[in-house]
Amino acid sequence: MRAMTVASRQGQYLDRPSGGGLVEVIDLILDKGLVIDVYVRVSLVGIELLTIDARVVVASVDTYLRFAEAVNRLDLARSGTETRGLPGMMEEIREGGAEHKTKGVLEGVKDTVGNVLGGGEGDEEEDEGEREVEHEEHPQGRSRPMSRKDRQR
Amino acid sequence: MCACYVYGVVRESDTATALGDLPAVGNPNAPVTFVPHRAIAAVVSEIPTDRPLGAPEDLQAHARVLNTLAAAEAPVLPFRFGTVVEDAQSVAENVLASGYDAFVAALERLKGCAQFTLKAQYNQEAVLREVLDERPDIVKLREELEKLSGEAGYYQRIELGQLVAEAVAAKGDADAALVQKCLAPSAVATAVSESSSEDGLVDASFLVEDARRTDFEEAAEDLARRLHGRLRLQLLGPLAPYDFVANAMGDRGEEEG
Repeated sequence: MRAMTVASRQGQYLDRPSGGGLVEVIDLILDKGLVIDVYVRVSLVGIELLTIDARVVVASVDTYLRFAEAVNRLDLARSGTETRGLPGMMEEIREGGAEHKTKGVLEGVKDTVGNVLGGGEGDEEEDEGEREVEHEEHPQGRSRPMSRKDRQR
Repeated sequence: MCACYVYGVVRESDTATALGDLPAVGNPNAPVTFVPHRAIAAVVSEIPTDRPLGAPEDLQAHARVLNTLAAAEAPVLPFRFGTVVEDAQSVAENVLASGYDAFVAALERLKGCAQFTLKAQYNQEAVLREVLDERPDIVKLREELEKLSGEAGYYQRIELGQLVAEAVAAKGDADAALVQKCLAPSAVATAVSESSSEDGLVDASFLVEDARRTDFEEAAEDLARRLHGRLRLQLLGPLAPYDFVANAMGDRGEEEG
C-alpha cells in the first residue's frame, strides 16, 4: 500500500502507479489466469477460501443507506469543494500531510485484505478515522461505500 | 516438504529474462526459475507446503513475476494464483506436455502484446452533485427526508439511497462506454470487469500491441484530461494478459464462470 502511494509515475492527468499496491494486485489477479487439472495440483489450505470469499457480492440495504447518507451530507450551498476531489486528497496522502484523512482509506484496504484472506485485522470500527474530518470532506471519505469491500459483506 | 509453484508459461527463448532477484511466492529466498519443455517453459519457484498461501506478499510476488515478464516483452500465459504442482518433473509432464499445442498457440497469439488495465473511480461528491442536478425527484425526496427524524425516515432513506445508487450506476455505464470508445481503437481486444457498473467504477482491460503502446497511452491521457474533476483514472501496465489468456487458449468455460 505504501509503495503505491509513494512510487507513482504521474502523467499530467493520468495516474500511473508502479503497480505493487495490494488492492490493485487483488483486482488484477484474483480469479484470473489459467487453471490446470485438479488432479495435478497440490492443494494448499487457504487458497480455495480466498477465491470463494472474494466472489461474494451483495447489493444490500446497507449500501443504499450509505448512498442516502452521502447524498444527504452534500451541502448544496457549498460548491467550492468539488474541484478538490480525490486527486487532491491523494496528493495530500503522498505528501504525508494528512494522516487523519488517510486513515479511513488505509483502514479500508486493511479491511479488504482481512476479509479476503480471512485475517484478523479487519475488525476495527470503519468510521473511526472519519469522525474528525471536516464536514465538506465526508463525501470523499465516503467513497468507500461504493467499493468492493462493502459488497463482500 | 517442498512443491513447485507455477506462475505461468513462456516461450523457451524467453527463459533468459532476469527474474532471479524477484521474491518468490511463499518463500522470498527461493529463486524464480524455469522448467523447459521443447519450445516452451514454465516459470516456477520452490514453495514449502506446510503453510497456507494468500498473504499479501504472496499475491504481490505472483503479480510481480508475471508483470516483469510482460514488461520485458516476453509473452506469458499467467496461471491462476495458487497453482502448485508436486515437482518440476510433474510440471513438465503433466502441465507442459499435456497442454503443449494449446500453450504454443496461445503464446503465438499474445506475442507482441501486453495488457493495460484502466481503473476509473468517481469523485463521489462531483458525481452526486451531477445526480442532484439532473434528478429533481431525488432532490425532492432528499428535502422531504430532512424533515423526518432518523427512525421515521428509514424506508424513505432506503428509497433515496436506491435511487441514487441506480443513477450512479447508470452514469457508470455511460462512462464505461466512453472509455471503450476512446481506448478500444488503439487496442487489439478489450475486457470490462464485472464490478464496473455496480459501484460506479469502471474497470477496463486492454490488450495493446507493443507498436501501438504510445498511441494507447496518449489516448488514455487524453481521456483522463476530459474526465478530470469527476473521474480519477489510473492506468496499470504493461501487465501480463490476465484478462485475455483464457480467450487466447480458446477455452472460456472455466474462466468466465
